[in-house]
Amino acid sequence: MSVRQSQMVLVLLMVAFFASGLFSGPAQLDWSAEWAALMGRGDATTQTIMWRLRLPRLMMAAFSGAALGLSGLLMQTYFRNPLAGPSVLGVSSGATLGVAMVALGGASLGWASRNMGMGSQVLGALLGGGAVMVLLGLVMGRFRSRTALLIFGLMVGYLTGALVTVLQAGADAGALQAFVHWGMGSFANGGWSSCVFILVALSGSIVWTARTCSQLDMWTMGSLTARTMGVDERKLTWSALGTAGVLAGLVTAWCGPIAFLGLATPHLVRATGISGRHSKMLWSVVLTGGALALFADGVVRWAGVPLNAVLSLVGAPVVLLLIMGRGPFGSAGKTGARL
Amino acid sequence: MSEAQLVMRDLELVYPTAGVGPLNLELSPGGNLVILGRNGAGKSTLLRSLAGLLTPRSGQVSLGGHEVGAMSPGRRAEHMAFVASTPPRGSALTVGDVVGLALEAGSKSAGPSDVAAALEMADIADWIDVQLDTLSDGMAQRVMMARAFNQAGSMVLLDEPTAFLDVVGRREVMHDLGKWCASGKSVVLATHDLEAVEQAGWANRWLVLRTPEQGGSLLLDEAFNAQKARSILTGEA
Repeated sequence: MSVRQSQMVLVLLMVAFFASGLFSGPAQLDWSAEWAALMGRGDATTQTIMWRLRLPRLMMAAFSGAALGLSGLLMQTYFRNPLAGPSVLGVSSGATLGVAMVALGGASLGWASRNMGMGSQVLGALLGGGAVMVLLGLVMGRFRSRTALLIFGLMVGYLTGALVTVLQAGADAGALQAFVHWGMGSFANGGWSSCVFILVALSGSIVWTARTCSQLDMWTMGSLTARTMGVDERKLTWSALGTAGVLAGLVTAWCGPIAFLGLATPHLVRATGISGRHSKMLWSVVLTGGALALFADGVVRWAGVPLNAVLSLVGAPVVLLLIMGRGPFGSAGKTGARL
Repeated sequence: MSEAQLVMRDLELVYPTAGVGPLNLELSPGGNLVILGRNGAGKSTLLRSLAGLLTPRSGQVSLGGHEVGAMSPGRRAEHMAFVASTPPRGSALTVGDVVGLALEAGSKSAGPSDVAAALEMADIADWIDVQLDTLSDGMAQRVMMARAFNQAGSMVLLDEPTAFLDVVGRREVMHDLGKWCASGKSVVLATHDLEAVEQAGWANRWLVLRTPEQGGSLLLDEAFNAQKARSILTGEA
């Protein structure tokens, strides 16, 4: 199957998952009423269900999945590490701390959230994730290696984890429940405005990646070779980390810390035999991420299991197969995985 | 692209701290230079300074009249390429991808027929769809050399390209290098492989890096002689 053909299959899968999500749900509406509501006719309740609940949720799933897949691809390429994902920079840990401060610590963002038209949890997540990005930017010049960057992300994770634990210990049951619920992940929390935010970031990132494909390819041959082939290491570092961080941060703000999707998507694409040049991988990763998220959201609605549980049930075996170097990852064979 | 002359002017390197300079040297277009020195003598530092990746402690390096440190990475890549001692590992690129990227980096046309022609020239046409990662070190290093010579308009720098190869691999890489030398591009090679350089027979200038207490660096304009090089390096001359 050529790259084009496999991308056509992915588009069809996305359409199928999207349609099944659009025309099914707990409200048990009949098809003609759903269709009429989509066309702007029929009763107000059905129109609200279609336009305010189902459509934005499905859009959110598609865009977020695509964004996380692309973020994961960029991180795996930049760190030349098959186990890197959107969370390695610590951006989602920062977002989690932001949400914990709002939900558990009683940090008041009421004024700001009223004026910006976002929930204060979302605002807390954006501020927390943003703070980690700024911190990363400030200290990046001091890191001598990419491994140090990975350790930075890990340590940020431990620090925020500890602070979250402290906040949890002193929180009342209701607040704790809200926070735990956020941590389970969901595509249902956003509205149209959040879809627009993520779509804009996703489009910009796709354009940047498409223009930087050759440089990313060169980067897989090591920084010395890449630099002598014309790659500006500093520029690539800032833009790759910035792009991946913004995508991960925005998705986390509205959907919670979503596990595995960003890590597993590029590997699923490689498992279908599409690897090497980023120009080949870009759209396959975006489409696979979107399709996977729509599929997972379908399972969430059908089985009533939280999103992160569904994704981990799929993602964990993928990672296990990966480190054991067998299973569907044909070419990943002996050396673990080639990026 | 016009071929350009490499000039080192009063060059002092950031390593070794004892200093092996000041180095003054002009390499005419198509000329070659073999850099010798014991481990830690500064061979890699010199090559990285020539490539514009390291800023020298003092003095300057220019190519075709332009200081290499001041060129943009893209512009530098059009002029010169670098071959490291180990071929890259873990990349999923195919041999065709690698050479295509090199043509692109050198601002040359990089269509499928250009890539095929470049691989044909390098005698590696059969590997076009093979992943670089699946090749042996020796084969991968030959690909990395073909990449470098297809990228660079003027000069290729090689940092001990045979260091980790077996006897056959060394011979093949040196043989290829001789062919590439004849193509008219400047070659700067750092190596410990004295016999192989002598056998290949193309080297006519060599630079021995030594600190002042070892007798200072030495530039020789003569056919390469492994025996003589060894005695200079061991200090028995």
